Amino acid sequence: MRSVLSAAARFPVLTTMSPIAAVLSLRPPPPALSAAAALRSISTTLLSIPFQSPFAFSSRVLLPSRLLSRRLPVRAYADGGNGAADSNQFDFDLLTIGAGSGGVRASRFAAAYGAKVAICELPFSTMSADNAGGVGGTCVLRGCIPKKLLVYASNYSHEFEESHGFGWTYEADPKHDWSTLIANKNAELQRLTGIYKNILQNAGVALIEGRGKIVDPHTVDVDGKRYTSRHILLSVGGRPNLPDIPGIEYVIDSDAALDLPLKPEKIAIVGGGYIALEFAGIFSGLKSEVHVFIRQKKVLRGFDEEIRDFVLEQMSLRGIEFHVEETPQSILKSTDGKLSLRTNKGTVDGFSHIMFATGRRPNTKNLGLEDVGVELAKNGAILVDDYSQTSVDSIWAVGDATDRLNLTPVALMEGGAFAKTVFLNQPTKPDYRAVPSAVFCQPPIGQVGLTEEQAIQEYGDVDIYTANFRPLKATLSGLPDRVFMKLIVCANTNKVLGAHMCGDNAPEIIQGIGIAVKAGLTKVDFDFTVGVHPTSAEEFVTMRNPTRKIRKETVPAVERSGDKIESAG
Amino acid sequence: MTTLLSRSPMLFTLGDVLSSPLPSIFRSFSARSFPTRTAYLLGIGSNGRAIARQTGGVKLAQPISQWIIFMARKMLVDGVLDKVGEETKQYDFDLFVIGAGSGGVRASRTSAAFGAKVAICELPFHPISSEVIGGVGGTCVIRGCVPKKILVYGSEFRGEFEDSRNFGWEIDGKINFNWKKLLHNKTQEITRLNGIYMRLLSNAGVTMIEGEGKLIDAHTVEITEPDGTTKKHSAKHILIATGSRAQRANIPGKELAITSDEALSLEELPKRVVILGAGYIALEFASIWQGMGAEVDVFYRKELPLRGFDDEMRAVVAKNLEGRGIRLHPGTNLTELRKSEDGISVLTDHGDEFTADVVLFATGRVPNTKRLNLQSVGVELDNAGAIKVDEYSCTSVPNIWAVGDVTNRMNLTPVALMEGTCFSKTVFGGQPTKPDYADIPCAVFWLFAVVSDVISWNSLVPHLPVPVHTLFLVAVLKHHFGLPPLSIVGLSEQQALEQAKNDILVYTSSFNPMKNTISGRQEKTVMKLVVDSETDKVLGASMCGPDAPEIMQGIAVALKCGATKAQFDSTVGIHPSAAEEFVTMRTLTRRVAAGTKPKTNL
Repeated sequence: MRSVLSAAARFPVLTTMSPIAAVLSLRPPPPALSAAAALRSISTTLLSIPFQSPFAFSSRVLLPSRLLSRRLPVRAYADGGNGAADSNQFDFDLLTIGAGSGGVRASRFAAAYGAKVAICELPFSTMSADNAGGVGGTCVLRGCIPKKLLVYASNYSHEFEESHGFGWTYEADPKHDWSTLIANKNAELQRLTGIYKNILQNAGVALIEGRGKIVDPHTVDVDGKRYTSRHILLSVGGRPNLPDIPGIEYVIDSDAALDLPLKPEKIAIVGGGYIALEFAGIFSGLKSEVHVFIRQKKVLRGFDEEIRDFVLEQMSLRGIEFHVEETPQSILKSTDGKLSLRTNKGTVDGFSHIMFATGRRPNTKNLGLEDVGVELAKNGAILVDDYSQTSVDSIWAVGDATDRLNLTPVALMEGGAFAKTVFLNQPTKPDYRAVPSAVFCQPPIGQVGLTEEQAIQEYGDVDIYTANFRPLKATLSGLPDRVFMKLIVCANTNKVLGAHMCGDNAPEIIQGIGIAVKAGLTKVDFDFTVGVHPTSAEEFVTMRNPTRKIRKETVPAVERSGDKIESAG
Repeated sequence: MTTLLSRSPMLFTLGDVLSSPLPSIFRSFSARSFPTRTAYLLGIGSNGRAIARQTGGVKLAQPISQWIIFMARKMLVDGVLDKVGEETKQYDFDLFVIGAGSGGVRASRTSAAFGAKVAICELPFHPISSEVIGGVGGTCVIRGCVPKKILVYGSEFRGEFEDSRNFGWEIDGKINFNWKKLLHNKTQEITRLNGIYMRLLSNAGVTMIEGEGKLIDAHTVEITEPDGTTKKHSAKHILIATGSRAQRANIPGKELAITSDEALSLEELPKRVVILGAGYIALEFASIWQGMGAEVDVFYRKELPLRGFDDEMRAVVAKNLEGRGIRLHPGTNLTELRKSEDGISVLTDHGDEFTADVVLFATGRVPNTKRLNLQSVGVELDNAGAIKVDEYSCTSVPNIWAVGDVTNRMNLTPVALMEGTCFSKTVFGGQPTKPDYADIPCAVFWLFAVVSDVISWNSLVPHLPVPVHTLFLVAVLKHHFGLPPLSIVGLSEQQALEQAKNDILVYTSSFNPMKNTISGRQEKTVMKLVVDSETDKVLGASMCGPDAPEIMQGIAVALKCGATKAQFDSTVGIHPSAAEEFVTMRTLTRRVAAGTKPKTNL
């Protein structure tokens, strides 16, 4: 395995190339930079250099006129609409504000396409604030990565329990030391933020530390110093959002929950979204007493209804207490330091911590956006068109700051599409169809495509295939773990519209299914695939009989309840 | 297609189409008019009109004329499709199945569901098989996939305990492992599954008969019950699904060695193990025993373990096994086993001597065909003792059929299930159905002909000993549950180069799984995609790393349907997962010209 670093050194990016040359030259992409193994722990999605097919350019002749016109503003600048074709007029071709997933991806790709790029980011901190952030962004420092590391840690307690049925016993019960975990986690985050800085450096992207603020459509102020740029990309992400209720100052958000000095003894988690459930699983696995308060009857609004019911039941079986239809009204701190949560239904007290996971908001305040005319949505999200362009031609935005689909791989896709559109002269729209996603609660959820409810609304006649079974591991461990899987199939075209799963390995399993759903494959295609035996995933290709057929104006009839073993015989 | 077929199932080969005195409409499809890279669905409606449909973008590795597609098996047998129940007066059963493993149970249940009167015989239950014991459920449930995976689960915990330390877990005092408890729980589980299978059969209305089955003539099975009494049963069709058994290498002292059957039921956990063979069974046991604390030595003839798998992945597996402390001895054979004071003395052809508590022979399996009296009723066997069948699982005797390991086609549970289902559909469902061994269904050259009932096709279709599985794009999933597991679908790089006309693009990724960044475990996950440079089709995918079998299932669905690299790339990743790497491999690792030898970077 060659390392990215040495490979990049061998093929230095030509940052001096003028943008017009970059746009017009049919220069092949930088030679293969294979992702360094060490970096993969973040995600190579962030690291890979785009590989361009030699036929990519021929597609230009096929572009619809709308796409061609879209390129014009870009061209106009490049061709000297502002007076010159050389890059001297601006300090940079691209200045990116925010070095998270989307910003880093866009900057690196833009640089690889020949643009002169700078990126500005706040100093590193595990807690985001107006003056703190760090290269790597939410995903690496305060989201996906630290969260999944804690999920790994917490899941061991479940494995210890499982191991009894497989003949393992311990003289003393396993204990968990929170400070070891947090120290190792933070060491890993430091390593990753360092890797990200190296990646940027090796890509020839200038890193400017500080808070970027837009002065005019081509000027950014970073802590008093001004930089000009042909294009500005906003990828400032989002931050947890807390409601304004009495006692909110005692509450922690997800940033803080990932970096607590002490493990909570008893924690209240307010919210029923994926962040709330992931933390509920983490703390429950690490043997905290966990109470989850949700305003509705069910968790995970927007997910498939059956998945919502199933995950609630499974998480309850693992010892998490759910308080449904309770709206928080205030938090009180007693003299012994314990916290109480008062809701519309009553008060629960004795909490060492109360965490709110009640949504996130785009980080768009104090960026000077309103002054230069960048339009924002009501919630502060930057309004963009299909190509991530804002209402100001030279200003673009990707990632959570635009509040489209707030997932790391989507920000990467948007960042990549932006770079192609602007610096490769290939107008590219991010494709939001069949984006798979996961919730790392315990057991985890994976999903891709439509929910049953969405499918019925869109297609009317759908066939639903479900399986609800006890996985092989649980038959020996004796634990009440189950797996739920679901395929949603269009009754007319036989296309698989959605796949959902809750159970061990669901995120890993759904990725491949995601390719199939994205490719528009049919249920017959699934049926023709031979299973991998014995796995849980094979159930996705062995669901022969619909659980119910939903037809317009008919009542769904339940025909079969799945038992895993039946399909094996 | 299905409707066409069920109206009048008439199947034949393209070769037959082109060479036989058929209506001219057929001959108009000359060999040249079938581009070699395209497959057609061809049918004739009841009005005699030809129906041809291009399935599009299909790769064929061989000239089309060599492709034996479908033959009119049922027409050969008795001219018309079975009308279920019609002739039962003559026979005790419509179908008699010998062997209640994965394939036999599936075939019985699905045939019964089509209305057939079905009986199945199986030997009494026991974890270790022999000529006279077996059990409903078969190898997979009792002596294969299921108990093996349970032991793999059991052995994985040791690594998990090690890994948990850096995540903050402390286990004071000793960690104990009770092999007998695991064994007991495993036996309990397979006994439960055995019961479930029996219930499945009885719920399906299948008559269960305990005893050893043997053919008397083409329509009669004699059962020797456990008490020695014999009984005869007649049936219109007989299905042989007797599976296979582990075989021992023929060296002096071979009786001291055990096979995988015994290995799954050892009374004591061995401390020192010698394994002969490096196929997936050998490696699975190597990692199971290593995970339970034994010292393991593996001996095999080749340079790398897992012959037939992608070379690059073989190297990865070898490295991981050694990383876990398993000693590999490539290019080495065992010559003799001797009983010694403290165990078994093992001699190698390199002149070395090892001492072991247990010696496992994992040197292949043989079909269970010896005591069935097959030859005397005219059922042909191949050199390995496997029953020869055509593409519809029919033996050389038209009403005797065989599925599963006994036919030694592709010896995997889901394949036996598929073969069992196809058999039922063909014989009792009115839908002649071939098991599809390719990853890309449209890559199989399907040629259906459906004709009006007037023409007698018997004269046109010779009784072919169909070259059964000329497999191309072999892609039934192979997987391997060791530590960490390997899973592949489609072609290896070597196979792709042998078969492809175009250059091959290879994408590889080797990375440290996120869990290892904290645990400190030094085991890279390796993934690989093999892509046709012209068609952009993903020909093969492989992965060695945690959760590989679960991850590969979905990838298999995509490959099966001919997904392109562009379709992989257009899929958004699930972050953070290992599987997302499969949709984010943007950087070409190498391009290999067609006809050259593959290289590896590892």
